Amino acid sequence: MNVPNFAQGHLYMVAAFLGFYMVMSYAMNYWLALVLATFALGFVGFIVYFVVFYPIRNAPEVNLFVASMALLMILEGGALCFFGTETKWFLIPWARGVLSLGGVCLQVQRLIVIAGTLVVITALQLFIKKTSIGAALEATAQHREGALLCGIKVSRVSAIAFVVGTALAGIAGVLIGPAVLLMPTMGMGPLLVAFSAIIFGGLGSIGGAVVGALLLGLVESLASGYFSAIYSLIFVFGIMIVTLLLRPRGLFGREVWRP
Amino acid sequence: MAWLLGLTAVILAPLFIGEYLTSILLLIAILSIMGIGLNLIYGYTGQLSIAQSAFLGIGAYAFGLIAVRLHLGFWPSFFAATIISGVFGFLIGIPALKLRGPYFVLVTLGFAAIVGVIILAWVDLTGGANGMGGMPRPSPIPLPWGGQLRFDSLLSIYYFILFFLVLIASISHRVVHSLVGKTFTAISQDENLAESLGINAFSKKLLSFTISAMFTGVAGALYASYNAVISPDLAYFTRSMDTLAYLIVGGVGTMAGPLVGTFVLMAIPEALQVVPYLKTLINGIILLLFIIFLPKGIVGGFKTFVSRQGKPGKPERGEDGGP
Repeated sequence: MNVPNFAQGHLYMVAAFLGFYMVMSYAMNYWLALVLATFALGFVGFIVYFVVFYPIRNAPEVNLFVASMALLMILEGGALCFFGTETKWFLIPWARGVLSLGGVCLQVQRLIVIAGTLVVITALQLFIKKTSIGAALEATAQHREGALLCGIKVSRVSAIAFVVGTALAGIAGVLIGPAVLLMPTMGMGPLLVAFSAIIFGGLGSIGGAVVGALLLGLVESLASGYFSAIYSLIFVFGIMIVTLLLRPRGLFGREVWRP
Repeated sequence: MAWLLGLTAVILAPLFIGEYLTSILLLIAILSIMGIGLNLIYGYTGQLSIAQSAFLGIGAYAFGLIAVRLHLGFWPSFFAATIISGVFGFLIGIPALKLRGPYFVLVTLGFAAIVGVIILAWVDLTGGANGMGGMPRPSPIPLPWGGQLRFDSLLSIYYFILFFLVLIASISHRVVHSLVGKTFTAISQDENLAESLGINAFSKKLLSFTISAMFTGVAGALYASYNAVISPDLAYFTRSMDTLAYLIVGGVGTMAGPLVGTFVLMAIPEALQVVPYLKTLINGIILLLFIIFLPKGIVGGFKTFVSRQGKPGKPERGEDGGP
């Protein structure tokens, strides 16, 4: 489909809030909430794809950007309305716990995030490389018409890609929830970093995205430490611009943007 | 013809509606200027820029800083704010316009988000979340027959802003219908083809982007002068998206589009008396509906409707929408 979904960050925010409500208000088991949120977000992605993107898939590209931006506005406005503007603390029994490993203190939840991320990334990589649907996804991304010629149902594949994307946002949201403050505006920062990461790491390569994300996360943390959390965003953004200007393919990218 | 009617209506309006509604019209005028700026870079040059909110904030805060901290008068601050917005537009345009499609949009979005954050965070310079106050109104203009034209009242600042709206709309009209403007349109329709004809797309896009930034900066400075107080939410990136919504609803790539769209999308919440938070939500929903069903907006759809009146039979082939 080749359209960046600008609303992705906000979808992740919605997931975090969903998880929050499920656990805090309904006293649900955290892991169950995680699974449910993933499916819920995937379902949301399914609806969004067929209601929003599928009808205008043949329109000029800009219209698709505008649509995803409209989605972003709806999600942010809706979140402000329904969730309120106060920040929320997502507390689960072990959220405040800290493990001490050889003199370094780590928040338990962050370890969970790391473990979860590794699992998800491995699963995703297996999905793309080892299943036929994954192959179809790669084929469509590389050459849409060629994939059509091979008999791949491109619209179905696009839908799958989109739904997987939103489901991943679901996982991310619930994983990160206990580790940070929940605000309706929390989606934007991670979105920018995510885009920077995939541009830096290279489009079309999951390994690249991971490397990009790790490196940028490092940059962000270091910059937060030496300057301040806010200015760290500028570093991340600067890296993205420099990458786009000097090496648009990124580190491991496969395709250059075809205007 | 319709222009003249509209202009007369807007000039006479404050006499009939109350102060509150006049102030709303005033805000609509300021945001329309911003819309005209976006229309230039998006509607006529085909590049979707989300950076408008950044230039609004830059214009407003540049004006504020120069007027309040440096104690210069209104007019020097005003011109300085315009130039500064243009400079920022130029600087960010250089890397951004080398990219096409979603990358350009992304960079402008990032720029807008970051400027918003900087204005909020750089407390020493901007006062942070508390905002800045003490913005001057335009200095009194001496009249040839004695006395002064003062700008303290709502009515006077309303006409002042209206004057700039008309001025910028006229400039925009002249630019669009000039040779340069036709180059913009060529670029928006097919950049590669335009380049093959010898048009330097990059420099033209940069020109369009800079002018659009200057227009938006003017809107920011005007707002600062009118409101006397500015706060970082001027530069929050969703404001760019609101402007985009106004433009698409009104009609991209048309002269009346920004004005119609801004008016409609600001008048409706006022009529319904909704909470500010709902505004983004409602704008988003309306934008979504329009982009799916009526991408050319009100004015665009109206033009299509009118042009089909004489031709029975098949609707025209061609693009679905867009600039």
